[in-house]
Amino acid sequence: MSATPDRARRPATGASRLTSPPVFERLELPEGLELYLAPRAAVPLVELELLLTDAGGEKNPSDRPGLARLAAALLDEGTMRRSGPELVADLERRGGSLGSSSDWSSGSLRLSLPSAELEFGLELLRELILEPSFPPRELERIRRQSLAELARRFEQPAVLAEEAFAKRLYEGTVQGELLIGTPSSLTDLTRDEIVSFHARHQKRIGARLVLAGDLPPRGQGRGVERLLGELAFSRPARPVAVSPVALEHVAVVVVDLPEAAQTELRVGHLGVPRRHPDRTALGFLNALFGGKFTSRINLNLRERLGITYGIHSRFVDRRSAGPFVIAGAIANHAVGLAVREILDELRRLRDERVSSSELEETRSYLLGVFPYGLQTVEGIAAKLRDIALHELPLDHATRVLEEYQEISADELLRVARQHLSTDRCVIVAAGPGDDLARQLDGIGALEVRTPRPDGERNRKGLKVFA
Amino acid sequence: MPHPEHGVHSIERHALPNGLRLVLHRDPTLPLVAVNLWYHVGSKDERPGRTGFAHLFEHMLFQGSAHVGTNDHFRHVQSVGGVANGSTWYDRTNYYETLPAQELELALWLESDRMGFLLEGLTSEKLDTQRQVVINERRQRVDNQPYGRASELLFEGLFPAGHPYRWPVIGTMADIESASLDEVQAFFRRHYGPENAVLTLAGDFEPETALASVERWFGDIPSGPAPAPVSAPLSALEASVRLEMSDRVHLPRLYMGFRVEPFGARGWWTAFMAANLLADGKSSPLVDDLVVREELAQDVSAYVYPTEEVGVMLIVATARPGVDVARLESRIRLHLHRLGGNPAAPIAWSIEAELGRARRRALISIHSELQTVDHRADLLSQYATFFDDPDRAFGEATEIERVSESAVTRFAGSYLNAEQAASLVVLPAGA
Repeated sequence: MSATPDRARRPATGASRLTSPPVFERLELPEGLELYLAPRAAVPLVELELLLTDAGGEKNPSDRPGLARLAAALLDEGTMRRSGPELVADLERRGGSLGSSSDWSSGSLRLSLPSAELEFGLELLRELILEPSFPPRELERIRRQSLAELARRFEQPAVLAEEAFAKRLYEGTVQGELLIGTPSSLTDLTRDEIVSFHARHQKRIGARLVLAGDLPPRGQGRGVERLLGELAFSRPARPVAVSPVALEHVAVVVVDLPEAAQTELRVGHLGVPRRHPDRTALGFLNALFGGKFTSRINLNLRERLGITYGIHSRFVDRRSAGPFVIAGAIANHAVGLAVREILDELRRLRDERVSSSELEETRSYLLGVFPYGLQTVEGIAAKLRDIALHELPLDHATRVLEEYQEISADELLRVARQHLSTDRCVIVAAGPGDDLARQLDGIGALEVRTPRPDGERNRKGLKVFA
Repeated sequence: MPHPEHGVHSIERHALPNGLRLVLHRDPTLPLVAVNLWYHVGSKDERPGRTGFAHLFEHMLFQGSAHVGTNDHFRHVQSVGGVANGSTWYDRTNYYETLPAQELELALWLESDRMGFLLEGLTSEKLDTQRQVVINERRQRVDNQPYGRASELLFEGLFPAGHPYRWPVIGTMADIESASLDEVQAFFRRHYGPENAVLTLAGDFEPETALASVERWFGDIPSGPAPAPVSAPLSALEASVRLEMSDRVHLPRLYMGFRVEPFGARGWWTAFMAANLLADGKSSPLVDDLVVREELAQDVSAYVYPTEEVGVMLIVATARPGVDVARLESRIRLHLHRLGGNPAAPIAWSIEAELGRARRRALISIHSELQTVDHRADLLSQYATFFDDPDRAFGEATEIERVSESAVTRFAGSYLNAEQAASLVVLPAGA
C-alpha cells in the first residue's frame, strides 16, 4: 500500500488537458434556409430544431397575449396529410420525440431521433411547418387545456411570484403578460388569427435549422440535402426591441397567500439583451453573486442564516433585455431579513472591488466547468441553438473563454455599476400578506395583490373556471 | 445501432482490505472524471420517530470534516470548475462530483476525509443551521407544493406500520427538529464506513494510477462492523386501500400505487416496460386516450421506483375541470384490463405495437443517459451496491429487449389488479 497521504492540505493538481470547443458550421442554402451543424458521432442520436425566429411571444399583438404560444402548440396537431395523433404515433414508433413551443424570442419545433431516422425527421419538420392544418377540434382541446393550466397557477406560489414579477417589470408591454395568455385572450383567440400568425411569422420566414449529433458527412446524405432544398425561408425584418418604461423607484409587490408554508421571493430588474457586449462579463459577475452553489447570496442566506433551501440569481436571455432576477423560497418569518441581505449584497457588488481570490475562484470555475456541458448531443445542440437564435459568431464559446481568462476586478466593478441597481428594482414576495407587508415596510412603494383562484371573469361576463 | 453494453469491457473492479468496493470505468473522450460514492444507507435504515436522518446526513456531509472547512467541500470543487451534489433515497445515499480530470486527487481527498474524519468537524451549531435548511427544503418541496403530501400518504397506504418504506425520505418535521447531535453521530458511525460503501470513478484517468490513489486516500480508514440488513417482511394487502385527502389545489388528482417486484428482478423490468407502454409519449394509450381524445385528464404519467425491497409502480392522473375522478379511474382500469390481455371496445390497442414503441423509446433514452460520465458512474455504483455486479449497469438495454408481450400481459393480470393496489384521491379543499 502507498504512503500515508498528507490530509492537511489540498492535493496538487495533475497535468491538465485542454478541451477545444466543439466545431460548429453554418451554411446558408440558396433557398434561404440557414443551417447550423454540430456533427458528433459518439452516439447514434440526432437533435433537430427548427427555430422560428420571427414567431416568439414578442410578436403577440398587445390585445392578444398567448397567440404565439398557441400557434406554436398547434403546429404538431395535424397537417394536410394526416392527423396529429397519426403523425405523433409514427414518430414515437421510431423511437423519436417531438416538442413544439415558443418563448419570448422564438417559436420552435424540436425533434430527438435515432440518427437512422434523420431523413424522416427532416421530412416531418417540412410537413409540420409548411402544411399544418390547425384542426378546429385540436384548437379547442388545447384552448381548454391551457385555460385549466392558467387556473392551476393559483396553487403554485412560485408561478404566482414569477407572474407578478414579470407584470411589474414589463408593465405596459406584451412581455408583462403571461406567455400562455390570459383567460380572456385564450377564450377569444380564433383559428383565423392563428392561421394568419402562421402565414406572417412561422411559414417561410426567419427559420434556422439546428442539427446536432450523428450526421452524415457532407455529400453523403443525398436525401438530407434534397429535403433541405425544399425548406425555403426568407429573412425576417429586424425585430423591434421591447422597451418597457424604466422603473424610477423600488416597487414592492406582496402576493397575498395567507396559508403559504413559505414565501416565494423574487428581486430584480431588467438585464441586458443577449447580444449586449457586457453579457459575458455579467455572466461572470452573476456566477459569483448568485450563479453557483458557493455564491455570495447562497452562502449568506442558506449556509450562514439557514433561512432558505437555496437562492440563486440569473440573467434571462432574450433578444431584447430579459430580466435579471434573484429567486428563492424563504422562511416566512425571515423575508424582510432576506430582502435586506440581498440588497446589501447587490450594493456591495457596486461599491467594492471583488477580491483577487474570489475573482480567481470564479474564473477557474467558469473555465473548468466548460467541458461538462459538452458531454451530450443535447448539451451541444443547446449551445448551437443559442448561437443560431441570437446570431452570435460560430466561435462564440472560444471568445467567451478568452474573455473569462482576461476579465479583471475593475471590469466587474464597471459592469456592476452600469447594470445593477438597488434603488430601481422590483421585489415580489408571495406568501402570508399581512406579515410580509409588515416585514417589507419601508423598503419601497408597497402594493398588496390578492390572486383570485376561483372566479376570474372574462369579458363576456362568464365564469371561465367552473 | 451500437449496443450500450459495449462499455462493459472496460469495467475494472477492486476491493480494499477495509471493505471499500471500487469500480473503475475509463473513457477519455473529454478531460473529465466523475467520482461517485454510494453508501448503502437510506431512510429505510431509520426508525419511526427518528426519521430523516439519512437525508439530514447528506447535508452534514457538506459541512466540512477534520481537514476540510465548513462549506469548503463545494468551494474546492467549484473553484476548479467541478460540480458536486448528493441525494438520499429509501435504500441509499449518494455523493458525487465531476471535475476536470487533473483534479481527481482533490475529489479523493474530499471524499476520504468525510468518510474517515467527519465527526471531528461536526458541531451542534452546524447541525442547527442544516436542520433549518432541511426544514426549508421540506417546506419548499412538500408543504408549499400542490399535491406535495400526496405520495407520503399513498406510501402509508401501500406499506403497513413498521415497514421502512412507510415514512418519507426527508422525514417528518418533528423528527428533523428533535434530532440530537449524539444520535446523528451514532447514525454516522453505524452506516458510513468503507464496508458499507462503493466508490466509482468514470472518465479520463489511468486505472493503475487511480487505483493507487484510492488505496492511498481510503486505505487507512478503519472498517466497522457491517450494519445489519433491514428486514422488511411485507404481508399482502388484505383489500385494496383507498385514501382521500384535500389540498389547496384546483383539480382533483388520482394516484394509483402497485407493489411490484424489487429493482433488478426480471419482473421489475416488466413493470418498467408496462409503465412505459402505458404512458410514455403522446401516442401512448393513456396519454392518447385520456388527455387527447377523451379529455378526461389534464396530464397522466406512469413510472416505477427502483427500490430494493419491493418495487412500486405509480400511475398519476390529474382530472380535467369538471371530470369526476371515478370516471377517470374506471377509464384507466379499462386500459389496465386491456394490458392484461382483455381487449374490450372501445379499448383495443395492440400490445405488440405499443410495446415496440415503448422499447424503442426506452433504448434511446438509455443511450442518451449513458452519454455523461456522471450517469455512468452513478449506475455502476448502483449495481455494485445492490447486486455486487457493476457489469449489469450496461445490461439495461438487454433487460428491456427481453421483456416480452406475454410477460407484460401476465404482469398486468397479476400485479395491476385492485387487490394489490393503494389509491389516493386529492380533492380541492372546500370542493
